[in-house]
Amino acid sequence: MAKYIVRRILSAIPVLFGLSIVLFSFIHLLPGDPAAALLGQHATPELTAKIRQQLGLDQPLYVQYLQYLTQLLHGDLGKSVINNRPVITDFATRFPGTVELTLAALLFAVGIGIPLGRFAARHTQGWQDGVVTVISLFGISIPIFVLGLTLQYVLSVQLHWLPTSGRLDPRTTIPSVTNFMLIDTLLAGRPDAFVDALRHLILPAIALGSIPLAIITRITRASVLDVNNEDYVRTARAKGLTERRVDDRHIMRNAWLPVVTVIGLQVGGLLAGAVITETVFSWNGVGRWVVEAIQDHDYFVVQSSILIFAFIFLAVNLIVDIGYAYLNPRIRYA
Amino acid sequence: MALLEVRDLVVRFRTHDGTIYAVNGITFDVEAGETLGLVGESGCGKSVTNLAIMRLLPKPAGRIERGRVTLDGVDLIALPESEIREMRGRDVAMIFQDPMTSLNPVLTIEEQMVETIVAHRAATRADARKRAVELLGMVGIPHPETRLRSYPHQFSGGMRQRVMIAMALALEPKLLIADEPTTALDVTIQAQVLELLKDLTARLGTAVILITHDLGVVAGMAERINVMYAGFIVETAPTPDLFARPSHPYTVGLLHSIPRVDAAEGGELVPIEGVPPDQRRAPVGCPFAPRCAWRVEACWADNPPLVPLEPVSRLVATGPGATHQIACHNPPLPDEARTGRPTRPGFVAAPPPGAVIDELAVATPDVEATLVEFPTTDAREERR
Amino acid sequence: MTATATPARRAAPARASRGLWRDALVRLTRNGPALLGMFFIVVFVLAAVLAPVISPYDPIAGSLANRLQAPGTAGHVLGTDLQGRDELTRILYGARISLQVGVISVLMGLAIGGTLGAIAGAFGGAVDNVIMRIVDVLLAIPGILLAIGIVAWLDRGLPQIMLAVGMTNAPIFARILRGSLLALRESDFVVAARSIGATPLRLLLRHMLPNALTSLIVAATLALATAIIDVAGLGFLGLGPPDPRTAEWGTMLTDSTKYLREAPYLIFFPGVAIVISAIGFNLLGDGLRESLDPRLRR
Ligand SMILES: Nc1ncnc2c1ncn2[C@@H]1O[C@H](COP(=O)(O)OP(=O)(O)OP(=O)(O)O)[C@@H](O)[C@H]1O
Ligand code: SF4
Ligand SMILES: [Mg+2]
Repeated sequence: MAKYIVRRILSAIPVLFGLSIVLFSFIHLLPGDPAAALLGQHATPELTAKIRQQLGLDQPLYVQYLQYLTQLLHGDLGKSVINNRPVITDFATRFPGTVELTLAALLFAVGIGIPLGRFAARHTQGWQDGVVTVISLFGISIPIFVLGLTLQYVLSVQLHWLPTSGRLDPRTTIPSVTNFMLIDTLLAGRPDAFVDALRHLILPAIALGSIPLAIITRITRASVLDVNNEDYVRTARAKGLTERRVDDRHIMRNAWLPVVTVIGLQVGGLLAGAVITETVFSWNGVGRWVVEAIQDHDYFVVQSSILIFAFIFLAVNLIVDIGYAYLNPRIRYA
Repeated sequence: MALLEVRDLVVRFRTHDGTIYAVNGITFDVEAGETLGLVGESGCGKSVTNLAIMRLLPKPAGRIERGRVTLDGVDLIALPESEIREMRGRDVAMIFQDPMTSLNPVLTIEEQMVETIVAHRAATRADARKRAVELLGMVGIPHPETRLRSYPHQFSGGMRQRVMIAMALALEPKLLIADEPTTALDVTIQAQVLELLKDLTARLGTAVILITHDLGVVAGMAERINVMYAGFIVETAPTPDLFARPSHPYTVGLLHSIPRVDAAEGGELVPIEGVPPDQRRAPVGCPFAPRCAWRVEACWADNPPLVPLEPVSRLVATGPGATHQIACHNPPLPDEARTGRPTRPGFVAAPPPGAVIDELAVATPDVEATLVEFPTTDAREERR
Repeated sequence: MTATATPARRAAPARASRGLWRDALVRLTRNGPALLGMFFIVVFVLAAVLAPVISPYDPIAGSLANRLQAPGTAGHVLGTDLQGRDELTRILYGARISLQVGVISVLMGLAIGGTLGAIAGAFGGAVDNVIMRIVDVLLAIPGILLAIGIVAWLDRGLPQIMLAVGMTNAPIFARILRGSLLALRESDFVVAARSIGATPLRLLLRHMLPNALTSLIVAATLALATAIIDVAGLGFLGLGPPDPRTAEWGTMLTDSTKYLREAPYLIFFPGVAIVISAIGFNLLGDGLRESLDPRLRR
């Protein structure tokens, strides 16, 4: 098991390495003069010169790359061209918002997707399976922004059930401690604000979680049906176990495995989807920041966000793989 | 009343490609403590028969369309699901072909054995565990205490099958269904596992239905044999009788298609030509007819019933004195059974009713001459 | 079907490829959801192709006097937008962009990913290793974020969008092709073909590609659905076609978000258009998968 974990961690290193090269190229191989391109409409001779120097554009490419890599390893992601603050600082304040949103969406997707998939698998012959199939078909076919805007219109604008956008009622002020709204409101001793934050979270989480929900539902259904055909499930039934026990222990313990892998893979989609969701719901997180940065040609922000998102994606999948190994004794005791 | 009575059992599958006629009305008994062999080619319905007895047919495709199955007089087919579930494992247990896939890979042997016991007995987990250790010892697994905590993949195939046997016999069922228990194992391991199975079931007085394609296996294990073909029982007899006097063309073919140690009488090794019928069609006539060298005209239209080979005053269904029965219009004579082909002078297998010309056209390049000659059997005999 | 036909479960794997395709087609025409999907796709393609024929209006120029007419207004079945342009016309022309960008981006993805995967799968070894690490890097960057990065890098423009969306799909195609090629290299019938002296190129073209093709066709069909969504997503983020007046579904949505209250139909109609075309390709893709690999069917 330890060997497996080490091997798995080592296998992520070349990917991170390759990623750094890709992102290095992203800035340094910008068509035309990188400094000017970076600055876009903000380009002034002084600024351009400053950027040139900052980037070490006079050096040979490999030196520049090594510099970049060294900076990365020191946690230096460059500075925003707009406000000259280190990217990492702004990132740190905005990231919790994205995490909060992503986790809520994941919770929604897993919490509903797995039971829904099991339900469908149990009723493959009935209309129930058909209904679930249609739900998951819609889930993968509706873009986040269409679903988000629809939810906004129906549940907020028309029915006034939930707030339209933002993370908290603008009239409420809560001291930022962790930048996790759900935690900060509690730290501030404001259960009312906590509930408000929760209410703000619902629609974005549903919009963001709908695709993973559909995918998790499908894979759960397929996996349960697969396992249901396994010899050992027949053995379990032949031993006279109750259907419930066959389901919970023999089927689900195995059906979980592919589902867990797929859940890990959804994290990438969730982070990417957060960019759109945060735009729809004016959610203060990294995603919206990235979109603003693109409009402002603030490339370090774009570059660093991609790097960090990819890093998180790899890390989560590493953790998921280890979890998978733990759930699967064939690997655990290999 | 026999321990297990199967009467006119019909099982069909409804699939996207249509109905599959898997088991087409079979009748047999198993007496307490008796070992019955069930042999036949792949796909002939051996597994389906037994899954039907256990009511474990794959849902919703597989359905018992007709028939009665009783165990100790209890009608298994009419039983509500909760009650049949209680009988599974306790009264009838099952061992499957592939020990590699028949144990749950993510649960320890202990979990799998203990859950079997506590599902049927009011035993504490500790008691069940003690019993599991005892059972593992009984099937010859060294260090049962520690091995109990292992996962299936940590055992070899033979050891896993021993675990399966231990689990199946945990509640001392009256009937054990062993579906090709050794097919997936090495030859040397096969013998050990079979020996173990024979020994334990004899000791516990368990009746066994042993499914196999291997006549060698049943010869050493079973007191009685049912030969199945395309969802029918085509021959049934006590083991010595069946080997001494195989009387259905399919059985004859089977015996000639395996190398036999005792093949003193010069029977040559001949595979049965052709393939089993497409079970997506409702059976018409004798299912073996297309492959049968003994077929007569009636074979194409009438499916022969299973009847005693020789007239008997009283039909005996079980035990060493069971009546030898076959389903055949034109059984091979003992001599023919020995040589493996019809030897009666002038005999020719009846051609299929509709496809006569086709078959002849294929059989001989000289089509026209053939067509003229057709009705005389002699001319056709010459061409063989 | 003769009385002695081999039982279906013994059938050899895709030996005669023509038989495979024909069987698949027959199964596909019996697959209700797939037919519905094809119907949606036909509607989508007809809308794209016939937009100028169907609609008398200009998709770009409108009159402000005409703005925000409600759906059902005479002459404007789906109403008019903020600039007074006919909404139906814009949706029809939007289908052109979606179809064009969607199809070309998937083709680009196929070309890039297919080449990478074919090389990796055909050569194996170190080549395979290097290519697959590149693919891992691309896969590590979450979907639309990669597209955003590429458009941000190369600037806005239809070709850039096509490349960006194509690149998000390329690693998927590469993996599929490589996977099937590696599996096929070891499979009985390729080993058999090799043993009778078939040349590597001939093997690749005659035996390996046709088999890998089935998985690629399914993946490409499903990728069309994501491509349409991703293109609209880029448009929604303001990374759509450089001319902001272009009738593009995602861009149309962004323009209307501020008028959610007054003119929800400006969100609703383009949204429905995107969803219907995505559903079309998803249904067809699933149907193709089931028809090409009947074992998957339940
Ligand atoms: N789940 C199923 N769906 C459809 N048809 C089935 C199914 N299971 C079995 N059959 C069909 O039922 C018939 C009998 O199958 P069965 O498994 O009983 O054969 P068998 O005698 O046990 O063969 P083997 O020696 O290969 O185990 C076959 O024609 C088979 O195709
Ligand atoms: S002789 Fe006729 S009935 Fe007997 S097995 Fe042959 S075909 Fe069947
Ligand atoms: Mg079987």
